[in-house]
Formats: sequence, structure tokens, C-alpha cells
Amino acid sequence: MIGGAVAIVAVFTLYPVGYALIGSLYNLSPILPRSFAGLMNFSHIFGSQYFGFALKTTAVFALLTVPAIVVLGLLVALLLDRRFRGDGFVKVAILLPWTIPAATGGVMWKGVFADSWGALNGTLYQLGLIREYISWLTDPTLAVAATTVAQVWAQFPLAAVLLLAAMQAIPDELYEAAAIDGASGLRRFAAVTFPHIRPMLIVVILFELLLALTAFDLIFAMTGGGPGTATTVLSYFIWSESFKMLSFGRGMALAVIIAGMAVILIAGLLRFMPRGALLEEVPR
Amino acid sequence: MVVGFALAPFMWVILSGFLPEVAILTVPPEWFRSGLIVDNYRYILTGEIPRAHEVGGQLRRMISEEVRHVPRAALNSSVVAGAVLLLNWLLGVPAAYAYARLRFPGRVATFYFITVSRLIPAVALAIPYFLIVQRLGLLDRHFALILIHTALTIPFTVLILVLYFRSIPVEIEESAQLDGASRWAILRKVMLPLALPSLVGAGLFAFMLSYSEFLFALLVTTSEYSRTLPVTLSSVASNPDVSWSLLSAGTTLAVLPALILVWPIWRYMVRGLVSGSLN
Repeated sequence: MIGGAVAIVAVFTLYPVGYALIGSLYNLSPILPRSFAGLMNFSHIFGSQYFGFALKTTAVFALLTVPAIVVLGLLVALLLDRRFRGDGFVKVAILLPWTIPAATGGVMWKGVFADSWGALNGTLYQLGLIREYISWLTDPTLAVAATTVAQVWAQFPLAAVLLLAAMQAIPDELYEAAAIDGASGLRRFAAVTFPHIRPMLIVVILFELLLALTAFDLIFAMTGGGPGTATTVLSYFIWSESFKMLSFGRGMALAVIIAGMAVILIAGLLRFMPRGALLEEVPR
Repeated sequence: MVVGFALAPFMWVILSGFLPEVAILTVPPEWFRSGLIVDNYRYILTGEIPRAHEVGGQLRRMISEEVRHVPRAALNSSVVAGAVLLLNWLLGVPAAYAYARLRFPGRVATFYFITVSRLIPAVALAIPYFLIVQRLGLLDRHFALILIHTALTIPFTVLILVLYFRSIPVEIEESAQLDGASRWAILRKVMLPLALPSLVGAGLFAFMLSYSEFLFALLVTTSEYSRTLPVTLSSVASNPDVSWSLLSAGTTLAVLPALILVWPIWRYMVRGLVSGSLN
């Protein structure tokens, strides 16, 4: 039975990864005969200006979303770490964005930002803040901002929950001791809370970085990579190379590149995970 | 304010599902003056065209026919996610128990392999999955999607359950062992009842992940009869002439399970995770 779980995961990870590694060396397409390409796919990708652009878009997306998610998640976790009236409701309400499909979230945010009938334009107009509707999703810069807001919305709940878990593991005595020493709120955070949640904070940052680098569903549903290529992040680029350009070999070469970047991040994640956090030695 | 940020898109979608299309398209919009209607829902469920769409005029009256596939897609999603949940319990529980309590060769290595496997970006696996599924002739079948989703969710199930099993004192088991109970009997009669909350939590989590998974569902399900909810919705939304009021009604139907399940998820899963990592 353990075999079952390991086997199904292995079949669905090792085999496809191997498949991608080999496939990236071929010209593969549903409409053309297959032929060996060597490293041509890779050299084509690195030479393509679209790849450079997608790389830049992804980097910008990650740099905008990750800090916002971590800061917002941290603030929310600090808020929820103490009891107050209605904290149960707040917890459940905040968890909601994370429980719905990212693709559905993308659709919902499309409704908020839509140029001609979106809730945001309507609200700003009613309040008299704008005279003409703003093209949130057809202006390249604004479209990046809009997808950033949606990604932060979708991801901050998880960051908040993980950080809250770390905070609640801090023994109360430490806070009591700090209070006796007369430490202020900020000082308590710096001296007690922060050092204890630091490992989890690093885990959250690396995990969110990984998610930002591979974001797909939300962008697919919200902007479809557009306008033009303004929100074409790497994963969307793979999608369009493979299933729009029907160049599977090149798509897999791209996939190998992304997977390589992910492996570096994962290695970092594992290094910072506290030892024995997941699996301790079996007693006996 | 954070609550407002979290809830605003939901409120907007739920509200506009009850509005006639015209109220949304006029400038300035008439969200609160036009009155609420249920025509959009009636259209999705019965095919009766909403009155607001029958009236001609300068305003666009597109009917998004695809939105009528939403109930079917919700059913597909539920079937797939339900099967994934069962497979997760069937395979995940024994595995988690073994990792928490038994010694066997490769224990640490395979455990890390399982947990880390989930961090490989999904897009990197997309094309191989597509080609493999295609070659097996399983395209457009739910079976392939169920297997893929099980592989994607089982690492979480194992992780959650291992954390929980670990927190159960070994002494409880030892006394059962002294009474001559076998490993299987201990797992069934002692551990499972104790771990019920996190069992429910892990199961719900797997259900939610499968219900909402998009990329592989998009690849594997090609016809509207097998499509799952996220795929159908984003396909409706990608039509530039989409009727937002109809789409909102469809989206509201789609997020309903999440709205209902969020409370048990918080209670059983997130809290279980929070207290599990304490020990």
C-alpha cells in the first residue's frame, strides 16, 4: 500500500520528466514527422526575443507579487494571532479566495477589471473619481498590475495560515517574559515573534516565488497572456509554443528550463526547512 | 479592510448574477436601481432566454450559450473529485501510517520524493502528460484525469496524515499490541477513529484541489461533455462577447461548493495542520 502511493507519484513524475528531457531534443509536432534536433530547440529558445520578454514579464510578476503576498500574509497572521470578537468569521472569510479555483478567481477578477462593464470602473465612475472608463485589461502596464492584484488576492490566505501556524507554536511564556521586561509591541515582534517564524517565513517566500514563476491558470482566465504579450509569463509561453504553435519539442525544452529553475528553488526550500519538521526518526 | 479585499470579488459576482445584462452595460451602471432577477439562473438550468436579452436596442445582447454547460461541468468536476478523494484515502492512509510508525528501507528517501514531487511546476509536465494520455487512448475520459489528480493530491494527504499520526501517543498503540491486535487492526480500530478530523480535512483538501485543477483538466478533457468546471468557465469567459450577467450566474454556481466547504476546511484541515505542527 505504501508502494501504491509511491508508485502512482513516481509514474506521474519521473516518467513525464524523463519524457520531457528526451522530447526536448526532438522536433515533435502532431502535424510533422518527428526528427532529431539535438540542442536546436534550446538554442532557438535562448535566441528568441519572445523568451527574453516572457522571462522579464515573469520576473516582474514575481517581484511584484511575492513581497506583497508575504507582507499582507504576515499582517493578517499577526492580526489573527490574538483573539477578538468575530475572529472566526474573519478567518473563514480570508480563507475563501484560496479555496476557489485559480481559473475561477481569474474569471472573477476579469469581471472586476473589465474595461467596459467592470465593477471597478463602475464604482470609480459613480464616485466621480474618473470621467472615462480606464482600460485596465487592454493597457499593457495596467494589465500587469491587475493580474498582480488578483494573484495577491489568491495567495495571501495560504501565507497567512502558514505564518499563523508558526506564530501559535511560540510558547506564551516568551511573550510574558518580554512583557515583564517592558518590551513594546514592535520590540516584542522583533525579539520574540520574528526569530521564531523566520524558518516558516523563508519557506513561504520560496514557495510563493515558485508559484509566481509557474503561474498559469489565473493569467490564462484573466488576460490570456495579453494584451499582445504583456502578461505572457513563462508558463503561458510554454502553453502557446506547444498548443498554439504546435511545437511540442520546443515546448518541452522550455519546460525543462523552467523545471531546472524550480529545482534550484526547491533545493533552497529543503535547506531552510527545519530538520525533522516533517519526518522524525521512528521511536522504538 | 482585508476582509473587504477578500470578499469584494465574490459579492460582485454574486450580485451581477442576479442583474439584467443592461443594468451592467449602461454608463453609469444601474446596479442597485434595476431590481434583482433570477432569469440568468433559469437560463442556465432550463434554457429559457432571459427577458433582458430578448429586448433589442443599441446595447449588445449576446447570449453565451456555452454557459449552459455549467451544471454538466459541475457534475463532471464532482465525479472526478469524488473519485480522487476515495483513492486518496485508499492509498494515502496506509502510506501515511507506515511513514509515521514503521521502519522500512527507503523510508526517508521515498517520503521526501513524495512531498517534493508536488513542487515540480505543472506546466513542465503538461506536454508529456498530454502525449502519454493521447497514446493510451484516454483523451476525453475522466479516468485519466482521476489518476493525474490523485498523483497531484496524494502528497498533501500523506503529509497531513503523517503530521497527525505522529501526534498520537505511541502508548495507545502499544497497549493494543499487547492485547494481540495486528497492525491492520490497530490502524482500523485505534488510529482511524482518532485521526478522523484530519482524515476528513485531508479528504476535503484533495477534493477541493481536484475540483479546481485547471491545466490538466484543460489538456485531458476535450469535449464539452467531459469538461470540468474551471475549464468550462474560463472557456466561457474567453469569449470577448460574453454576457457577464450569465457568466456571473455560472460562476456563482461554480464557487458554491467552496462557499459551503470553507468552514469545514478551516475546522478540520487548517486547524489540524496548525495543531499538528505544534507537536
